[in-house]
Amino acid sequence: MVTLVPPHRSHPLADLIEKIQSGGALLPDSPGNVLEVVSILKSYGVVLDAYQRNLTFIAEHQFLVLFPFFKYFNGEVTFSKLLKHWWHDRINYEFAEYCMKAMFWHGAEGLDTYLDSEEFSQRAGAAIRAKLKGNGMMQGLDRLFPEFLPEQVRLLCYYSALGQFWNVMSRMFLNLSDRYDRGEIETIPQVVQHIQDGLVEAAMQPITYAIEIRGECYEIIPESAGLTFLKDTAVPYVEAVFFRSFPFFGTISYNAQAGQISANQADFNYGALFADPLPVGGAGIPPTLLMQDMTHFLPNALRQVYLQELRGEDDLRVKICLSFQKAMFCVTTAAIKGLMPHPIDTTNPEQQQENLAYLEGWMDKLQDSQLLNMQSL
Amino acid sequence: MLSLFVWLPFLGVLFISLLPLAWVGRSRQIALVLCSVVVVWSLYLVSQFSLADAALQFQESLPWIENLGLSYQLGVDGLSLPLLVMNGVLTWIALYSSDTQINRPKLFYSLVLLLNGAVAGAFLSQNLLLFFLFYELELIPLYLIIAIWGGAKRGYAATKFLIYTAVSGVVILAAFFGLSLLSASGSFDYEIVRIHDLSLATQIVLLVTLLIGFGIKIPIVPLHTWLPDAHVEAPTPASVLLAGVLLKLGTYGMLRFGLGLFPDAWEVLSPWIAAIAVISVLYGSFAAIAQTDMKKIVAYSSVGHMGYVILAAAAATPLSLMGAIAQMISHGLISALLFLLVGVVYAKTGTRDINVLRGLLNPERGLPVVGSLMVVGAMASAGIPGMVGFIAEFIVYRGSLPVFPVQTLLCMVGTGLTAVYFLILINKVFFGRLPESLANLPPVRWRDRIPSVLVAVLVILLGLQPAWMTRWSVAIANSLGLEIPSRTAMNWSIPAAPVKPVPVASQHSKREIEISAPAAPAIDSGSVSGRMLSVR
Repeated sequence: MVTLVPPHRSHPLADLIEKIQSGGALLPDSPGNVLEVVSILKSYGVVLDAYQRNLTFIAEHQFLVLFPFFKYFNGEVTFSKLLKHWWHDRINYEFAEYCMKAMFWHGAEGLDTYLDSEEFSQRAGAAIRAKLKGNGMMQGLDRLFPEFLPEQVRLLCYYSALGQFWNVMSRMFLNLSDRYDRGEIETIPQVVQHIQDGLVEAAMQPITYAIEIRGECYEIIPESAGLTFLKDTAVPYVEAVFFRSFPFFGTISYNAQAGQISANQADFNYGALFADPLPVGGAGIPPTLLMQDMTHFLPNALRQVYLQELRGEDDLRVKICLSFQKAMFCVTTAAIKGLMPHPIDTTNPEQQQENLAYLEGWMDKLQDSQLLNMQSL
Repeated sequence: MLSLFVWLPFLGVLFISLLPLAWVGRSRQIALVLCSVVVVWSLYLVSQFSLADAALQFQESLPWIENLGLSYQLGVDGLSLPLLVMNGVLTWIALYSSDTQINRPKLFYSLVLLLNGAVAGAFLSQNLLLFFLFYELELIPLYLIIAIWGGAKRGYAATKFLIYTAVSGVVILAAFFGLSLLSASGSFDYEIVRIHDLSLATQIVLLVTLLIGFGIKIPIVPLHTWLPDAHVEAPTPASVLLAGVLLKLGTYGMLRFGLGLFPDAWEVLSPWIAAIAVISVLYGSFAAIAQTDMKKIVAYSSVGHMGYVILAAAAATPLSLMGAIAQMISHGLISALLFLLVGVVYAKTGTRDINVLRGLLNPERGLPVVGSLMVVGAMASAGIPGMVGFIAEFIVYRGSLPVFPVQTLLCMVGTGLTAVYFLILINKVFFGRLPESLANLPPVRWRDRIPSVLVAVLVILLGLQPAWMTRWSVAIANSLGLEIPSRTAMNWSIPAAPVKPVPVASQHSKREIEISAPAAPAIDSGSVSGRMLSVR
């Protein structure tokens, strides 16, 4: 029999810590929550797939294009697509860029270390020179501002890294939906386990970035750089997008390159887990764009659940946001469990104590999030 | 032609009352159809109305109880025509905005139609007793609507309304009898009794009596206390009609019977009337600022905005009278819009307390369209250009300033205060985060929004094209208006300058002014009464 070290009862989220210790999840387990989470993750998976394709397209095919007017067209520029773009009945790829910029803003430790390395400078320099060949104006710009184009390449690395992360996640979420349809997923802990397994499986997948210029391949982030899925994209993504995001545009201004972004998470609470679903678009990354995109791909079962509620279609995006936050707390649970310093069922008291300190650290970060509201939904 | 405005609604009352039980559910549709006919008929009347003619048009006359001096005499002119149209339109809006599941629908829709017919009769009556009959008749349906379908304190509010307005009727009747007896005409025919040779003192006594009677209805401060209670307890359709049409009976009566019958006395009392206007405007505005109930804010706003009509009536220049009529229309539409919106807010949230409501502009779970329309209504009420409120208030101020500069400037403060209390309301109710207690409001259907959308469209349309509202009143404003050169600010500044007749309305087309010119009163050095007689 496993005896767990109990959390400090004075901790406001002690109940949730015990719940995770005993194999539960941050989100209460109920058939309604399972339907909501799986269905919303299915629509999210479809949207993420579109986002990751576009991020990858921009990284690979809009390399150092200073005015990428058609970057959201994925290489297919037609008049009908242009009309659709102007009509705005499309995937809001801007949201993907906001998330990428949030990651870029707050930084990813391993990725940033590489992007500041000499190796990156040389590889980026080679690609830049190849790209600027025969372009006098751009070469002049590069000489005048030698840090400008390498910084653009760093940004494109983030495009590529997030695209690769979302590629894995979108397939994982769509696979979850398929398993639910086959009756293999029935509880929230099973949802969490599916995500945790997916993260573990992809954990060591290398993050690389290469572009082709005039038929020649330029590796910007080679496999040898040692960047991997979990450590260099998943964790920074959760930190930047789930926890921090950035203040609403125009309210505050920081210079990220000058290191003005506070490392203290408490200075930011605009992330997906904190976002207030009611004043839509009120702070942080505008979540309305994502919710709007997901409205197009809602599974019928979830749509029917929404329609039975009081406002029907009127507050669809608020309902999607609430369901999405539920789903993100499942992803967070999977991340917490996946990153545990020791197995959750360890019998070693020291390891248990370290696990507890780890869990209390997470819960400290989540205290002001929507977590407590989720317990009653 | 005019009888249809009275008798079609009355026939509707009879028809709905006799509906078999199986048809009770259709009473709303029947009332709407009949009211639509009235609206269409009023538009036809408008198309046939002669703009150049200040006299009564489409007159109908039937002897009734001749011994009493009571005859069935109807007629319409530029003063009553806009109000007649507004009565039809707002009754239709009120019917449409009523709850489809209302209790005792036969009675409710019958009473609304009865109210419509009685108000139309009052606007059209050219016999003082007939006017009084219709004026009293409209009390019954409104009293019953408040008493039966009103809020928690409906009994108190309805009784208070009845007592005040019944007293108003009695006082008016006393003035009518006094005029008829003292002028020795023994008649109640408007055209006959207005030609009198009563002494100025007698005229003043009769005019003061009339002003008290109509002052209760308008209402003027301090005779206003029935209005906020009535509004707060009345159901939304009744509030719409009360603010939109019924209060106008007071200002209409004041102009038609006060200014029309006693112009000499009016000139004497006009500074006092202007002072009452200032008190009403400022008191209404400050009282509105102090309220926490949305409906009371709009109700006190009504008290304030009716003050502009009184100011313009007191000045009694052709331009100010046109402003008074425009302000009646403007206030009718804007207050109807605001009451409709407050009604929707109350129906969806269950409260009108501005300290409880918050964040209703939330695009997903709030009432964003209702909130946006409320902003439109508040802007219109505060006289923002491009809306009907600006036009009406501008004409009122432009027409009144030369006669009562100080009073006009004080009333202008009221316009500023309007912005204050409506911004407080909008800021508290519609901005901020939607609290959890209001995060699950029932859906707002387009049925709920259509009445206010229609009125908002009219508010903006008449703000952009004011001639559609004012052209009908040019001739009657010229005819009723007094020229008082000795009191104009222009004369104070340039004493020797010859005084030209004030252009009626610069915003009118040249053709309209030319058409209206023959009807303008000839200005001579004689008495105002003499002028009035020479014109007619």
